[in-house]
Parts: sequence; C-alpha cells; structure tokens
Amino acid sequence: MNVVSSYLILAAILFCLGLYGALTKRNAIIVLLSVELMLNAVNLNLVAFAKWGIAPSLTGQIFSLFTITIAAAEVAVGIAILIAYYRSKATSDVRDMNSLKR
Amino acid sequence: MLQQMIDNLSSFFGSGSNIMFLIFALLAIGGAVFMLNLTKVVHMVTSLAVTFISLAAIYILLQAEFVAVVQVLIYAGAITILMIFAIMMTNHREIDQSIVRPLHQGLVLIGVILLGGVIFYAVQRAAFPAPEVDLATNNTENIGLKLFHEHVIPFELMSVLLTVAFIGAIIIAKREED
Amino acid sequence: MEAVYAQYAWLVPLFPLIAFLILLAIGRTTGRVGPIIGVLAAGASFVWSLFVLFEQMKGDGMGYVWNDLEWIRAGNFVLEMGFEVNPLNALMLAIVSFVSLLVNLYSIGYMKDDARITVFFSYVALFTFAMLALVISENVVQLYIFWELVGLCSFLLIGFWYEKPEARAAAKKAFIVTRVGDVALLIGILLLVWNMPGHALGFTNIANAFANGEIAGGTATLIAILIFIGAVGKSGQFPLHTWLPDAMEGPTPISALIHAATMVAAGVYLVARTYPVFEASSDALQVVAYVGAFTAIFAAIIALTQRDIKRILAYSTISQLGYMMMAMGIGAYAAGIFHLFTHAFFKALLFLAAGSVIHALHEQDIFKMGGLWKKMRLTGWTFAIGGLALSGIIPLAGFWSKDAILAEAYHSQPVLFWIGLITAFLTAFYMARLFFAAFTGPAETDDAACAHESPAVMTIPLVILALFSIGAGFVNIPGSERLAAWLTGEAPSDHSSVLVIVLSNVVAVAGLLLGWLMYGKKAVPQDWLSGRAGWLYRLSFKKFYIDELYEYLIVRPLRVFGYFLHLFDEFIIDGIVRLLAGITVGLGRTGTRLQNGQLQTYGLVSLLGIVILAVAFVGWRFVVNAG
Repeated sequence: MNVVSSYLILAAILFCLGLYGALTKRNAIIVLLSVELMLNAVNLNLVAFAKWGIAPSLTGQIFSLFTITIAAAEVAVGIAILIAYYRSKATSDVRDMNSLKR
Repeated sequence: MLQQMIDNLSSFFGSGSNIMFLIFALLAIGGAVFMLNLTKVVHMVTSLAVTFISLAAIYILLQAEFVAVVQVLIYAGAITILMIFAIMMTNHREIDQSIVRPLHQGLVLIGVILLGGVIFYAVQRAAFPAPEVDLATNNTENIGLKLFHEHVIPFELMSVLLTVAFIGAIIIAKREED
Repeated sequence: MEAVYAQYAWLVPLFPLIAFLILLAIGRTTGRVGPIIGVLAAGASFVWSLFVLFEQMKGDGMGYVWNDLEWIRAGNFVLEMGFEVNPLNALMLAIVSFVSLLVNLYSIGYMKDDARITVFFSYVALFTFAMLALVISENVVQLYIFWELVGLCSFLLIGFWYEKPEARAAAKKAFIVTRVGDVALLIGILLLVWNMPGHALGFTNIANAFANGEIAGGTATLIAILIFIGAVGKSGQFPLHTWLPDAMEGPTPISALIHAATMVAAGVYLVARTYPVFEASSDALQVVAYVGAFTAIFAAIIALTQRDIKRILAYSTISQLGYMMMAMGIGAYAAGIFHLFTHAFFKALLFLAAGSVIHALHEQDIFKMGGLWKKMRLTGWTFAIGGLALSGIIPLAGFWSKDAILAEAYHSQPVLFWIGLITAFLTAFYMARLFFAAFTGPAETDDAACAHESPAVMTIPLVILALFSIGAGFVNIPGSERLAAWLTGEAPSDHSSVLVIVLSNVVAVAGLLLGWLMYGKKAVPQDWLSGRAGWLYRLSFKKFYIDELYEYLIVRPLRVFGYFLHLFDEFIIDGIVRLLAGITVGLGRTGTRLQNGQLQTYGLVSLLGIVILAVAFVGWRFVVNAG
C-alpha cells in the first residue's frame, strides 16, 4: 500500500460525509457547510498528491490555495443569497425552495 | 487483500508521524460526523471548525505549512464566522431537525456508501510510486516564487474574482430601501 | 346450341343485390320509395329467371357452367367462383324469385305502418340475392358462403322487431341452432376437399367422382351424413327443428318467404345438389329417409294441439320438409323436388293468408278468432284452397306431389309409406282444425267481430298463389311425368298405383271430416282424446319437451361454461391489461416524484447515476482484469 492512500481514503470519507449532508440536511446553511466540507476533502487530495503523488511538486499546494480562495468567495455569495432569500420568504428550509419545478 | 491490509496497518503504526496522522484524521472525521448528527446549528458549525483545524494539522504533516496556515485563517477563521453570522441572521433558534424522509435519506446513504466504496477500491488498486521530495524548506518563499512566476495569471484572476464576489455579496444582501 | 340466357343467369341475383345496396343507402327515409325498389328488383329478377327457365326447358340438356373467376390459389389447390345453370337450378331460380316478388308486393300492405319499412325491404332484397346466388352456385364452397349469408338474413329478419325480447331470443336461437348444422356441413366440405381428386369442388366434379366410385364406402357415408346434418339444421328436421316455430316471431311475409318456401328448402336443395354423394352410400340414404319420415310424423303430432296460427303452419312446414327428405332418401329425387315446388306455392299462400288474418285482427290464437269467413271472403277462399292443397286432395297441386312420394315409398319401403299416410291424415286434420276454428263459428272477440278484408296489394298475391296451388301439379302427373324427366334427364320410373291414390285421398278426406266434426259442427267434443289421455295432449302441446331438454342438457351447461370464461376474461385477461396500464401509471407517478423541484432530489438522482456508472465501470474492469 502506498503512503498516499491513507490520505486519499481520509479525503474520500470526508467527501462522502459532506455529500450526505448536502443532500440530506434541511437547513440551507448546513447544506452550504457540507459543501465546504466537500471542498476541504478535495483540498486534502490536492495537498497529498503534492507531496506523495506521482510527480510531486509545489503546484498542488498552490492549486489548493486557489481552491480555498474560491471556496471563500462562494461562501460569501451563498450566504448573501441565503440572507436575501430569508428576508423575502422567511424560511431557510430547502424543501420550500422548489421553484425549479415550474 | 485483507492480509495485505493488516500487514500494512501494523507497519503503519511503526512511525510517529503516522500516529499523529491517525489522531488528526479521527478528529477530522469525528468533527464531520458530529456535524451531521448534532441538532443545534451553532453546534454543527463549531464541530466543523474542529474538522478544519485538524485538517490544517494534517497539512503540516504533509509539509504544506503555508496552506495549513491559510486553512486556519480562512476556513476556521473567516468562513466559520461567516456561517455563524448567517445563522444569526436567519433562524438560529430553530433546531435543525432531520426531516422524516426515510426513502430519500436511505437512498442517499446507499449512494454515498457506494461512492465511498468505489473510491476506496480504486485507491487500493492504484499504484503510486513516491519519489521523495522535500517541500518543507522555504515553503512559503517557494510558493510565493512559483505563484508570481508561473501562476500569476490565475492569481490576478483570483483577485478579480474576490472583488466581484464581495461586491456581489454586498449588493445581494443589502437591505432594500423601501 | 349454346345457352344464351343462361350465360347471363348471374343477373338474376344481381337485381336484388343492387336493390339491397340502394335501400341500404337510402336508410330510414319513409317508405314510399323503398318498397317500390324492392318490388322492381324482385320483378326484374323473376322475369330474367323465367327466361333462363324457359331456355332450360327446351330440354336439350344444355346446362351452362362458368367458373373462370379464380378466388384462391394455394399451392396446387385452386378454388374458383362461378355459376352453373341446369334444370334444377333454373327451377329453383324461378320459384325463389316468384315467391320473393309476391312477398315484396304483399309486404307493401302488411308492413305499411312500420317505421323501418325500408330496412325490411333491404333485408328481404339481401335475402333474395343470397338465396338466388346459393341456388346457382357452382361449387360447394360458394354454396356454403351463401348458405351462411342466408342464415344471417334469416337472423336479421326474425329479429326485425328487435324491441320484442321474444324476437331477439328467437333470432339468436335460429342462428345458433342452424350453426350446429353448418358446422357439420363445413366439416363435410373439408372432407370433400381432402378426398376429392385434384381438390376440385365443383358440383359436376363431385358428381363424377362419386358416380365413378372414386370415393366410396365409409368416407362417402361420412361426407353424406355431414352434409345431411347441415341440411337438417337449415330445413328444420329433427333434432334441429326447434328454431323454426320460434322463428314465427318475425313478420309474417318473411315467414312465408324464408321459412316456408325458400330458405328451408335450401336443405332439400343441398341434398339434391349433392345427390351423387348420397347415391354412393345406401346407408346415408336410409338415414335421410328415416329422419325425414320421423320428422314428418313428429311435427304433425305437435301441430295437432298448437293454438297459434303461425306455429301450426310452422310445424306443418317441418312436416312437409320431412316428406321431401323422405323422398330424397328413398331415391325419389324428382318427387322430392316436385313436392318442394308445389309446397312453395301453397305454404307461402297459407302463410300470407294467415298474415292477412293477423293484419286484420292483430291476434294469432285461432281460438280467439272465429267467423272470419263472412268478413274476409277472399282470404277465406284462398286459405281453404291452400289447406286443401296441403292436405293432398285431388286434383290440387299438393296431391300430385305427395302422391308421387307415397307411390315411391309404397313401392320401395312400405314402412315409410304407412308413416307418410298417417302423417297425411294428421295433416288434413290439423288444417281442418285451423280452418274451422278460425274462419267458422261465432266471433270470439271484438276484434274478430269487426274484421275486414285486406287491401288489394295483399290479396292479389293470395289469388295468384291460389291459382298456382291448383294448377302447378299438372306438370308431373302419373303417365306424363314431364317434370321428372326434365329434372333427371332420364325416363321416369312410374310407380304410381291406383291404390295409393285412393288411400291417400281417403285418409285426407277422413282427416278433414274429423276436423269438421270436432271444430266446425262441434258434434264430436274437442277433448275426446285429450280428456281421456291428457298426457298425450300435454306431450304434443309441449312439443315433446324437446326445447326443455335442450335447455337443461345443452344451454345451461354452456351458460355455466360461458360464465367461467367470462370470469377468466375479466380477471385474467383484463387483469393483465389492467396490470400493464397500472404499471405504466405507476411508472409515471414515480417519475412525477422525481420532478418535485427539490434540489436535493436532483442531487440524489445525480449521485445515484454517477455511482451506478462508476460501479459498472469498475466492475467491468474488474471482471476483465480478473478474467
């Protein structure tokens, strides 16, 4: 077994947990939180491959920096949308956000 | 394969860094699991913060010190606080009850377990030759060099994106002046 | 010399067919035009059939066969359609079209107040077409086609007044009972197809094959019996006679046309047409003769006690058809056809006269009539002539034909002769009973008291038929059997004897006398026999319980079977269909649940899709690498 495998498996577990939360939780905040968890798992993958992958270099870490930045921006915008939605609809339950049906 | 796994596990616990990895990995997973199972939203955010910090520790194990610090700053710092603010501004008193959607939850569980299983299997079957590379010396300096020499365009785009993002967020979340 | 008119004999059925199509197109418009078209068509076909007949009567034996229309070709089996004209055909053409013309004329008066009069005439035209086409059919399959069509028309016409449940039931009964015979006929045809050399089915081919002994023995007997069963069904012989009395629910003109003169004669005609098959098997001939004789006396006994005027005449028809079958069975082919010829006239006359009575009184029970002789003089006279002809009084037509049969029977099979003689006595008796109960005596009801004669359009056919009933017998009197010689193409065998003539007249007169005494003068009490032996009366009145027997033995079990089939159909077959529909709807509903607008549902579906793909991919790789 490779050294990197344990990091990859940890990342996989975190990813799956995040996926479960994203698809199951009722509160929209928690869904966003679960998405953050998934992004973290991906970051872990990148950093692990940066050290222990086939062609290790710093590029993986730089990539993960970018990912963290994107995640932060996405959280900000997501929270803003959620707050705006909450102001108009007074609910943060994802079950009530079903306008995609029409 | 099982015998191989057991042998690997026993050799795994031979070194100290591996034990540290195990502790922090358990912390990370535990934080995630608690996040899913706690009832109050604020508690959930807190446990996720624990996950973020333990992930930072793992980054240090992977000789990615700069990334680890950034992780603590951004994730455990900014994003967690942002989440708590959002909770305060929506309905933080409400306890997040898991909805009784047994079919949906059951199917998601099955899907997620299968996905995990597939990735686990793929990872086990893959062979990664691991040439030794030292990334820890002058980690920050090297990252800076690389960032501004080879990846400057994405860096600039990143800044543009951040600007756009926070302007957009402000506009969206602005209270309508009636 | 080539037959000229015979080449165009196909025109004879064509006129009624055109009339049918026109009347079908006209639909239910009120009936000024419809009946006229029907009468014109019948008249045209009658005129043309006369041409054909007179040409055939020239006696050079020039028949005509045309069978160039190839209908089916399967391998080396070829079935052609065409028509054939020979003396027998031509005679039948004339009879059928003549009676049809008279009935069309009569129906103008009888059905005048009916709303669906045009439909009636269209059905009659269709029937006439089918019967005429049946008669000139060239091969036995074509005959079967028109045989079925005739049965269909009978069904339509019996059930013409379909609002009456009895009429509906009678129509169904007629169709189903004749179906039993038709199935046997079909099997017989199939056997013929199988056994005939070259699978040729034309009647001339059949005649040759059987006359030359190419098909003989058990096969010939079987084919003959099967064909005879078909004839039994259509001609109402025992045991398939039960539909004919019930068929009297239809309008009286068609009782006259179909169930007296023409369609029921189709059975006799079939036997005559396939006579070489019967000649090849003496066992079959015996069966025919005995079934015919038994039917004759059986029906006559039942007719003794019936009260409905049409039922009496129906059983009389069955009885006379028995005579014809008996004649065919004992080898008196010409005598049988002769009786068919004369019977058509006087039976149609009797039915039309009865229709005249029913039209005036709206009553069919003879004991509710009475005194009609004074009120309906013409009907009375024609009815009397028809009754005397049926009873076989010299020199009316019925006598000559019945005498020909009885003489032949006396000569070859005396047992049948005595049965026929007793039946003649019974025939005369029940006809006298009918006549005296209906026409003489005091009027039993107010309707009978103020009856009046029918309009001319109804009485003219009666007069015409009466004239024929008197004179039609003279074509074949002993000593100058022109009809027999012409039909069979050979010198007739004259077996007439004075003894037979005397005996048959004596029994007929005795029957009439007894009927007069019991019902006219009322000197002999009416319950002379029925009072003493009531069970005899009940047996006869209840038609020997044959209907009840069939009901319990056949109809009920079939109904139960049908019920189980219905259950099977509803729960299993319909169940499968409903299951399929349910599955489709269920799939639809499940699909609806996928499109509920919830993001998490869509995410779940995507996840499952990816996972399934991944598992499949990995699994395939695993299998490929492991194998």
